[in-house]
Amino acid sequence: MRAIRIIRRRMHSFVHHSRAEWEMQREIEMHIQQLTREGLGAGMTEAEARTAALREFGSIEQIKDECRDTRRVRWMQDFVQDLRYGVRMLRESPGFTAVALLTLALGIGANTAIFSVVDAVLLRALPYPDPDQLVLMSNVPEKQPNALLGISYRDFTAYREHNQVFSEMAGNTFHNLTLTGAGEPSIVNTADVTPEIFSVLGAAPLAGRLLLPEDGKPGAAAVAVISEDLWRSRFGSDPNVVGHSINLDMRPFTVIGILPASFRYPDGAPHQDVWISVLQDPLFGPRASQPGVRLLGVIARLKPGVSVSKGQAEMGAMGTRFAQEYPEDTGFGIRLRPYREAVVGNLRFALLVLLTAVGLVLLMACANVANLLLSRATSRGREIAVRIALGATRTRILRQLLTESALLGGLGGLAGVCLAVCMIRILQPFLPPEVARIGSIQVGGPVLVFALALSLAASLAFGLAPALIATPSNLQANIKEGGERTGQRGGRHLRNILAIAEIALALMLLVGGGLLIRSFALVTSVNPGFDPERVIRAEVSLPQFEYRTPQQWRAFADELRTRLHAQTGFGECALAAPLPMDRQGQASFNFTIVGNPPLPPGKTNTANYATVSPDYFRVMRIPLLRGRFFSEHDSPSNPNVAIISQTLARVYFANEEPIGRQMRFGFPPNSDVMREIVGVVGDVRDVALSQEPGPAMYVPFSQAPLYGGEVVVRSSLNASSVAAGIRQAVYSIDKDLPVTDIESFPDAIGQSVSRERFRTLLLGSFSGIALALAAIGIFGVISYSASQRRHEIGIRVAMGAQRRDVLLLILGEGVKLALVGVAAGTGFAFLLTRWIASLLYNVSARDPLTFCSVTALLLGVVVIACYVPARRAMRVDPMVALRYQ
Amino acid sequence: MPKPSDLLQGTLDLLILKTIARKPLHGWGIAKRIQTLSGDTLSVGQGSLYPALHRLENQGWICAEWEESDLGRPAKVYSLTSEGRKQLERELRSWNRLSSAVHLLIQNA
Repeated sequence: MRAIRIIRRRMHSFVHHSRAEWEMQREIEMHIQQLTREGLGAGMTEAEARTAALREFGSIEQIKDECRDTRRVRWMQDFVQDLRYGVRMLRESPGFTAVALLTLALGIGANTAIFSVVDAVLLRALPYPDPDQLVLMSNVPEKQPNALLGISYRDFTAYREHNQVFSEMAGNTFHNLTLTGAGEPSIVNTADVTPEIFSVLGAAPLAGRLLLPEDGKPGAAAVAVISEDLWRSRFGSDPNVVGHSINLDMRPFTVIGILPASFRYPDGAPHQDVWISVLQDPLFGPRASQPGVRLLGVIARLKPGVSVSKGQAEMGAMGTRFAQEYPEDTGFGIRLRPYREAVVGNLRFALLVLLTAVGLVLLMACANVANLLLSRATSRGREIAVRIALGATRTRILRQLLTESALLGGLGGLAGVCLAVCMIRILQPFLPPEVARIGSIQVGGPVLVFALALSLAASLAFGLAPALIATPSNLQANIKEGGERTGQRGGRHLRNILAIAEIALALMLLVGGGLLIRSFALVTSVNPGFDPERVIRAEVSLPQFEYRTPQQWRAFADELRTRLHAQTGFGECALAAPLPMDRQGQASFNFTIVGNPPLPPGKTNTANYATVSPDYFRVMRIPLLRGRFFSEHDSPSNPNVAIISQTLARVYFANEEPIGRQMRFGFPPNSDVMREIVGVVGDVRDVALSQEPGPAMYVPFSQAPLYGGEVVVRSSLNASSVAAGIRQAVYSIDKDLPVTDIESFPDAIGQSVSRERFRTLLLGSFSGIALALAAIGIFGVISYSASQRRHEIGIRVAMGAQRRDVLLLILGEGVKLALVGVAAGTGFAFLLTRWIASLLYNVSARDPLTFCSVTALLLGVVVIACYVPARRAMRVDPMVALRYQ
Repeated sequence: MPKPSDLLQGTLDLLILKTIARKPLHGWGIAKRIQTLSGDTLSVGQGSLYPALHRLENQGWICAEWEESDLGRPAKVYSLTSEGRKQLERELRSWNRLSSAVHLLIQNA
């Protein structure tokens, strides 16, 4: 009871602080009036009585203070008072506040933004129950221990039946099928799975049911599960879709269920629209029973308590047994990898580099704010000395200063979170696809906690040092000396060290950013070997149910080319498969040169392969170096011909004339076709901009047709009319054929360097932020020092120093600090940059040009930052300065 | 927790509690009453009266209401809480013990 009353009372006096004050004032006022009335009664005049009453009552303020003390809410009121005082201090020096808040916002904002990405990619659990039990299982050839291959259907069944370590195992592979029957024909990403995949991953249907073990048996009815996305976009969210029939590559499948959009397996890969049993797939189904066709990726769930290494031991032993039992498994082992590692493995490194960079920026931000607070605390020495002299305790002063910096940290954290939200919004379009696919990136709960903890830690870190320096034990000296020199020696030392550290950190970041920018510039300015400008590309693929024979493929291609040419404005167009930087990757085949001695066993020559229509090289502006291009005469009835790339000619026909020589190669099963070399063309960067072109060989499409290909059109029309023209041409031949992946070639190339662009953008902006922070930091230190040296400068000027001398004096101080910082930073950068060597293209991690130019840039910025206070110092009037103290 | 009270402070608390036990009073009235009842021997200075009142209030022994008073306008009138009444009994007991001890000592020494 009493405790409650006390608590209520204290809450009351805290919350209704002003009311309590007012009541106290009235109570005392009444007492004094009463005393006055007594005096009047004793015959005094009004004024006399009042004076006497006041005298008798004593020190009103002291009594009030004692009453206040009894409320026991002192600390809370102190806190509020400190907070108010802090706000007032911040408002009084808007320049300081703006710089400090900006600094903190940049540091915390960048950190929160990157942490959000890291959180989404690395930390957030995979969306499956007990994701750490999930492992991927692959066949590994003994000779290539890094190649991870699929597992054959027969082996999968055997492993599934006999293993003791997995609670469940499932296989999957992927195939693009043509969906017809509802709306326009389209290509759908199809997952060919064994039905267990859903129980391994713990998936539940949105409607209907998922695949059951019976659906995976040979001879079962053809059924399909569709994705929520497909259900919405294609079937208009029709609630009765379950039970409907759809056609995949012209074969009917019954829809049995819908998978919710939250089911994103395989993580980090394209979204799958349709899920069918692998045995129902038109391509893989018939081949599943063949031994040695390693088509299944296998994902399995370890039994509770079974470690990955135990699983590896048992499955490895089984693999060895299989290798002895089945001839086609000879030379293959089994490897397990945690699923999580497979998903985030290749991103982890880049993200850690970014996180390190971000940490450095935060360190700089803290150093900066510490520096600012330190300068201020030093000049507030007198105020604090007076407070201590008046009886404030050291803890009380510390508490006040800490409250102020916590306030700053809190505001900075808030601004930082706002900045992070904006940054993520800006960054989103630049995210490389595999990051963007993994999960939505948002500033949510854990990120907020991180930002809060960060700003609190930062504010404590930079609040403590000034607070300790600003409360010196030697009071008298401080008051006597005017306070400005308070803690100067220690404070100045610390400030200089902080400034040097900042310069060093900035240099490290600048070197990293500079290296990436230089490398990115080299990658993007590289000549791809063709001219992508104003070229539109599109993919057409022919369903194998309808277009079975090479004759049909060739006829389709010829017809398509004729119709494309007929489109108005389609000046130049051609067909090829694959195109450079194709998302499906490049085809690479073995070849032999007729007339050369046979290669030693185990050694093969390989080159990239493309089948192209005669106009292809002209459309793409790939130069002819010798011989001739393909022509319409290179038809199936004429001798087979080939064109080789410059690199292939250089490497394999070093001092010989390649024209007229013959090679054997081709798209399987025609891999042993003899072709005569008729031309040599320029090299093309076909894998990626950053990869040196390898040897390449081209064949005419009509001699080596494929079921579809890619259309390239060079036209001055805008992209959408070209796309419409291509669609119209295809549609006029076969209205069931989808055209996919229409995009401009420059965009496609941009996609291929999106990862490089993203990290360059990030690290580049970090170095920019770091540069700004370093400038602010050194500016703060030098301005402060210049203002402290006014007296000295006054004397110097009075003694005859010129303005130039003063300028050099101040600049010299800044440059000296900067040089020390640059030296330290260069040393660390030398040690650190080799970590990012793997991210660089054609640039050494110790590229002298980058090191020199960022050093020059940094020194230039330092000089500019010092010039402002130096100019102010130059204008010092010696009379004023000498009188000043 | 109440602070350990020295003799004087303890006595003042006792005097205040005892005074308002009979009838709720405002600060001025309490001071006057102590003075009158002690035959002008005891005079409580304002400097100690108000802090003591506020402390007792914050400890929950007494509570205050703004009421119309004999002074002609609302005054802050203090009265005992039930816990205050118990506290008064405790204070009285300890006072009696103390004063009889002092008395004994003076008589027998």
